[in-house]
Amino acid sequence: MNDAFSELLAGVIRWFGDPAHWSGAGSIPAHTLKHVFYMLISTVIGALIALPIGIGLGHSGRGGLLAINITNIGRAVPSFGVIIFVFLLVGYGLVPVIVALVALAIPPMVTNSYVGMREVDPAVRQASKALGMTGWQRLTRVELPIAMPLIMAGVRTSAVQVMSTATLAAYVGLGGLGRYLIDGLQLRDMAQVLVGAILVALLAIVTELLLALLQRLVTARGLRGRQGSAE
Amino acid sequence: MTRRDATKEEEQGSSAIVFEGVSKRYPDGTVAVEHLDLTLPAGELTVLVGPSGCGKTTTLRMINRLENPSEGRLMIGEQDVMRIDATRLRRRIGYVMQHSGLFPHHTIADNIATVPRLLGWNKKRRRERVDELIELVGLEPSLASRYPHQLSGGQQQRVGLARALAADPPILLMDEPFAAVDPIVRHRLQQEFLDLQRRVQKTIVMVTHDIDEAMKLGDRVAIFEPGGAVAQFDTPSRLLAAPASDFVIDFIGADRELRRLALKRLDSLTLDSGLTAPFDEVVSRARSYLQQAGSGGIVVLDSDHAPLGWLGWEQLKRAGDATRLDALDLQPWRHRLYLHDNLRTALNALISAPGEVVPVVNDEGHYVGVIDRLQLTRQLV
Amino acid sequence: MNWRWIASNLDTIRDALIQHVQLTGLALLFGFLIAFPLALLAIRWPRLYTPSLALTGVLFTVPSLALFILLMPFTGLSMATSLIGLTIYTLLILFRNIVQGLRGVAPDVREAARALGYSRARQLFGVELPIALPVIVAGIRIAAVTIIGMVTVTALIGQGGLGRLFITGFTLDFTTPLVVGFVLSVALAVAVDLLLVALLYWLTPWQRGVRG
Repeated sequence: MNDAFSELLAGVIRWFGDPAHWSGAGSIPAHTLKHVFYMLISTVIGALIALPIGIGLGHSGRGGLLAINITNIGRAVPSFGVIIFVFLLVGYGLVPVIVALVALAIPPMVTNSYVGMREVDPAVRQASKALGMTGWQRLTRVELPIAMPLIMAGVRTSAVQVMSTATLAAYVGLGGLGRYLIDGLQLRDMAQVLVGAILVALLAIVTELLLALLQRLVTARGLRGRQGSAE
Repeated sequence: MTRRDATKEEEQGSSAIVFEGVSKRYPDGTVAVEHLDLTLPAGELTVLVGPSGCGKTTTLRMINRLENPSEGRLMIGEQDVMRIDATRLRRRIGYVMQHSGLFPHHTIADNIATVPRLLGWNKKRRRERVDELIELVGLEPSLASRYPHQLSGGQQQRVGLARALAADPPILLMDEPFAAVDPIVRHRLQQEFLDLQRRVQKTIVMVTHDIDEAMKLGDRVAIFEPGGAVAQFDTPSRLLAAPASDFVIDFIGADRELRRLALKRLDSLTLDSGLTAPFDEVVSRARSYLQQAGSGGIVVLDSDHAPLGWLGWEQLKRAGDATRLDALDLQPWRHRLYLHDNLRTALNALISAPGEVVPVVNDEGHYVGVIDRLQLTRQLV
Repeated sequence: MNWRWIASNLDTIRDALIQHVQLTGLALLFGFLIAFPLALLAIRWPRLYTPSLALTGVLFTVPSLALFILLMPFTGLSMATSLIGLTIYTLLILFRNIVQGLRGVAPDVREAARALGYSRARQLFGVELPIALPVIVAGIRIAAVTIIGMVTVTALIGQGGLGRLFITGFTLDFTTPLVVGFVLSVALAVAVDLLLVALLYWLTPWQRGVRG
């Protein structure tokens, strides 16, 4: 076991050291970029759909039951199954996979932005009305800045989840770092599998940290130190 | 002292609490209590009062070892508290807190039975004790199966008191027990608590920042000053009569003369028998009483010998000779004064009274005499 | 839908379901056994809280497949790999909610327990834990539903519960097993969630009529 382990470790190091893995189409940088691209495009499209819904519902105070429970429902849906299901229905294609990723990214963002908007202190709402702000001014100058930490927490949750599911989507042919994992498992090439896992883990952690930083930057100074997720 | 003696001591009931050079310092250097020497007598209600941050609460919390003294000795009877296991000690000392601190997940009955349960009483004994206590603190028996959040603040405070008394502890500690309820409820709870103490006669230590409450409830009052020292420890009347320092005078307040009135009850005075007439007397007779006595009015009594109302000379002058007194427009008193009321209450009653005197009645409501302004002023000097 | 396939593969489906329940149940059990003492430590020494939260948070961030694979050099393609990975995923949610729940106990209530002569252990199990139960169960619910979805991923490393039916569907290019696995997985998540809600309702009679 010990020997096998050190051999494996040596294999991983050798794999990283091989210049062939650092340039060209199937290289580490290329796979990483692709992976980041899938994550970005899915999260951004998801946000463009989810945030207006969550913010709108939260601002008007309607549809709360749906907005709050959609995350719970989404959590119960196995994303691995969704990916394979889409594949069996329409065959492999970048667009169907991205659509699936977008769908999975939506629920946490709807819930968090809804809760963020609802948690604006009613006294603050009342005050902004009393000061003579229009509906739009109240939304953009008061409610949104106060709700921002939770909205960003939702984006974070979604982005990390998309990253994870995009890895699984390599199973049905999607590119990116997931390829190392799936191909390696197929070929029983443990060194390659481990390299992929390490890279995916690192990328996820870096993404999480960057988004945490972004969340902090978009949080008004007076609100710092009270951000969290609506889970 | 042998183990057997110690147990005997516990069962004997009330024992004095003695602080011998007790100090409490915190790791950050704050001094809460500085070299405290204090003897809280057995069976009495001692109130610790003072501005915030004077160490009164720390002093209280050291008695059941919620905090441990940094130095000195704290004795309950003959026992050093530091030599008693903290949880065992606490189970024989009742504790009432400002916000009742009831367990939200236990019913009222289970809350009250907390210490008996910890002590391993059986179910039947616990239930009997709970019934007793619910009655004792004046709660509706139907509340027993409710949960704390279903009760009002005043009711919760009663449950807190019942819980503290559950295992019949010889000592009761109370940390601002009436501070969190509204003034009207507070007044009633204080009154009932005084009656209760008269019956149970425990060694009670109470912390408050309200000097009125301290003077009203305490057999003795310890006034703490900032820095954790006791400025004066005395009975309320001695505190008023002979304050030990400017701090005490200041703390007791400018209206301390009035407070002194609150410490004396009407039954401690020799009341004037006053001028009275029965309700079925006629006006002409009443007029002659008044002229003989040289008084400005008369107290009219009903068939039960209870005061009915006041009749002034002007009213009597205008009325027909043969008219019965109860046919006239009698002026009632807004407050009924009982013999057990204090002189401050009497003063308040006098201020709003229709004549220059107020009748006083005994517990059955029968007239016993009158109190007037002159008598009260004499008490002030 | 091909009902004949279902009829002739009932045993496979049942085994997949049983393994799914086993993996979920064991992961929650082990997760709780680790998160609970960790939470107690973090409450006793508050300095431990932020690092513990950060560590479990990072582990939670790692995509599930990558995490399972990172465990493979140690435990291979065994059930232990899946179980350890799933357990790690429960830690963040359980730890966070246990700490929040216990910290949410009003200081008055804690103080009262101490003053009435509760021992430390009795105070924890008799007072603090019951009061924290709604928040803790809320965490168990989230963890349970998350894990039920994640078990399917372990099909890629030879376990998988209902996830095996996904692989079968993929390999045979046949939707029926996939739909069966999918529906059962969602149904299991909903059932477990409702069960936990019912359990909480039964365990906390004092909460009824307070809040939802």
